[in-house]
Amino acid sequence: MNALTDRHRERLLGYALIAPVAIFLAGLVAYPFLSAIYLSLTEKIVGYPAHFVGLKNYESLLESGRFRIVAWNSAAFTVGSIVVKLVIGMAMALALHHVVRGNQFIRGILLLPWVIPTVVIALTWKWLMDLFRGLINVALIDVGVVRSGVHWLGDPTLAMVSVIMANVWRGFPFFGVSFLAAMQTVPQELYDAAAVDGAGGWHKFWQITLPSIKGVVAVVTLLSTIVTLNDFNIVYIMTRGGPGAATHIFATYSYELGIMSQRWGLAMAASLASLPLVALLIVAVVRYLHREEE
Amino acid sequence: MRPATLARWIVLALIVLVVFVPMYWILVTSFKTGRQILLSERIYVPWPFTIDNYVYLFQESRFALWIRNSAITATASTLLSLVIGAAGAYSLTRLSFPGRRTFGGIVLITYLVPPGLMFIPLYRTFIQMGYTDSLGTLILAYPTFLVPFVTWLLMGFFRSIPRELEEAALVDGATRLQAMVRVVLPLAAPGLLAAGLFCFTLSWNEFLYALIFIGDDSLKTLPVGLSEFVVSDFAFWGQLMAAAALASLPVIVVYIYLHKYMVQGLTAGAVKG
Repeated sequence: MNALTDRHRERLLGYALIAPVAIFLAGLVAYPFLSAIYLSLTEKIVGYPAHFVGLKNYESLLESGRFRIVAWNSAAFTVGSIVVKLVIGMAMALALHHVVRGNQFIRGILLLPWVIPTVVIALTWKWLMDLFRGLINVALIDVGVVRSGVHWLGDPTLAMVSVIMANVWRGFPFFGVSFLAAMQTVPQELYDAAAVDGAGGWHKFWQITLPSIKGVVAVVTLLSTIVTLNDFNIVYIMTRGGPGAATHIFATYSYELGIMSQRWGLAMAASLASLPLVALLIVAVVRYLHREEE
Repeated sequence: MRPATLARWIVLALIVLVVFVPMYWILVTSFKTGRQILLSERIYVPWPFTIDNYVYLFQESRFALWIRNSAITATASTLLSLVIGAAGAYSLTRLSFPGRRTFGGIVLITYLVPPGLMFIPLYRTFIQMGYTDSLGTLILAYPTFLVPFVTWLLMGFFRSIPRELEEAALVDGATRLQAMVRVVLPLAAPGLLAAGLFCFTLSWNEFLYALIFIGDDSLKTLPVGLSEFVVSDFAFWGQLMAAAALASLPVIVVYIYLHKYMVQGLTAGAVKG
């Protein structure tokens, strides 16, 4: 009898302590989200009540040339950022792996871009790429690589390259430190055994290191894809989506529709457009994390 | 030196250089005179240097006000998230009740939903509530990503505290709640501190919600203030980079303490990039 009441008490306390989390997430995540789905199916003109229009907003998005450009840009921005982050992050981890003295210190310095406010990073890169006075152009002219300043943020292709560069600078240290932490858990015996068999460094990397850390690589890549696909800060500050729509991505586009033009139905639809992909990525991360727990 | 070792050091030196240059550029610019910036003089080393840019921030811009707003918002949302998240994490790791796994899953999923997807829906909800344009809006909005983060992070810390310690307290006649407050929370203090400092950093750096939810000039936070920083002087980059340096300072100080946890947290998938 006593044991039963104890169990009831534990349940009650369990619910009481999780209740604030549940209420908070229900009110400020689930509710906004569900009402966004509803609003994306309505049309609202200022001064009139909203009325239901079905999938019309999604149809007009898919038909609009601007949205197609936005979707393409988001994909380019995400894939470009992630691939470069993977390569530099891996190089960083491999370079640091055998450094014994000063390893912690170097790691500490290299992670700094990741704690500095993104707004500061975006503004700094905008200034680095300034046409006449930015360090990059001044240095390129000094060294003699170019004769006049490169239009980093004025040329459509270079603008995309520029926002990717800023994003990579911010993100690759996180990749590198994660990979390094995973590499340090790989047993040395595996490498010793491979060395006896006469394996070289390249072979060890592909046969031992990479397979051993692939779980961490997958999780880090997935997490970063989710965030990058919905990035706002770097693009908004460096280019406002320009020149033209050359760097416009999902979040800056829904900002334009919602905040600037007050076309809420369309804005909601644009906000939710990347949702199916994000949902898939989230499911993948959750599965990976659960597998690592077990 | 073996060629492989040499190659490693070259790669490392290049990476350190790439990370270092933009930070150096912030500092160098912040100590330049308007003339040096305008005419691209003394581009690499500011000599003679000036602290006018820093003085300007406090005397002629709303920099101090932005710092105040950011400090209030970050502190309040951090405390709110810590209390809610710690209770939730304890419940999810230490108590058994039907639906526990589901709650755990929901927390993880909400943690992964990016702000770039949520800002318009959340903004509409705040408009419906009639509660925009107040620091309170941000103090409520930030926990939407901080609470799942704290809960997820602290679950790991709570799991590492041996159950036996708590059970001993229960045997001695403490209630479950007393055992949590007197035994588990003190032992989890380093975790609570780390979680709190992470929350502070995330709130201090947050830009998107602060940009959208706040229109009143006197309530702008530091990142939004920086993004709208325009002065009549053509060479405003000196002042802006001084502001950038000062805005980064608190989180760098926090980071010096945090960075050992970050390396742990990174592998647990608790911190995202």
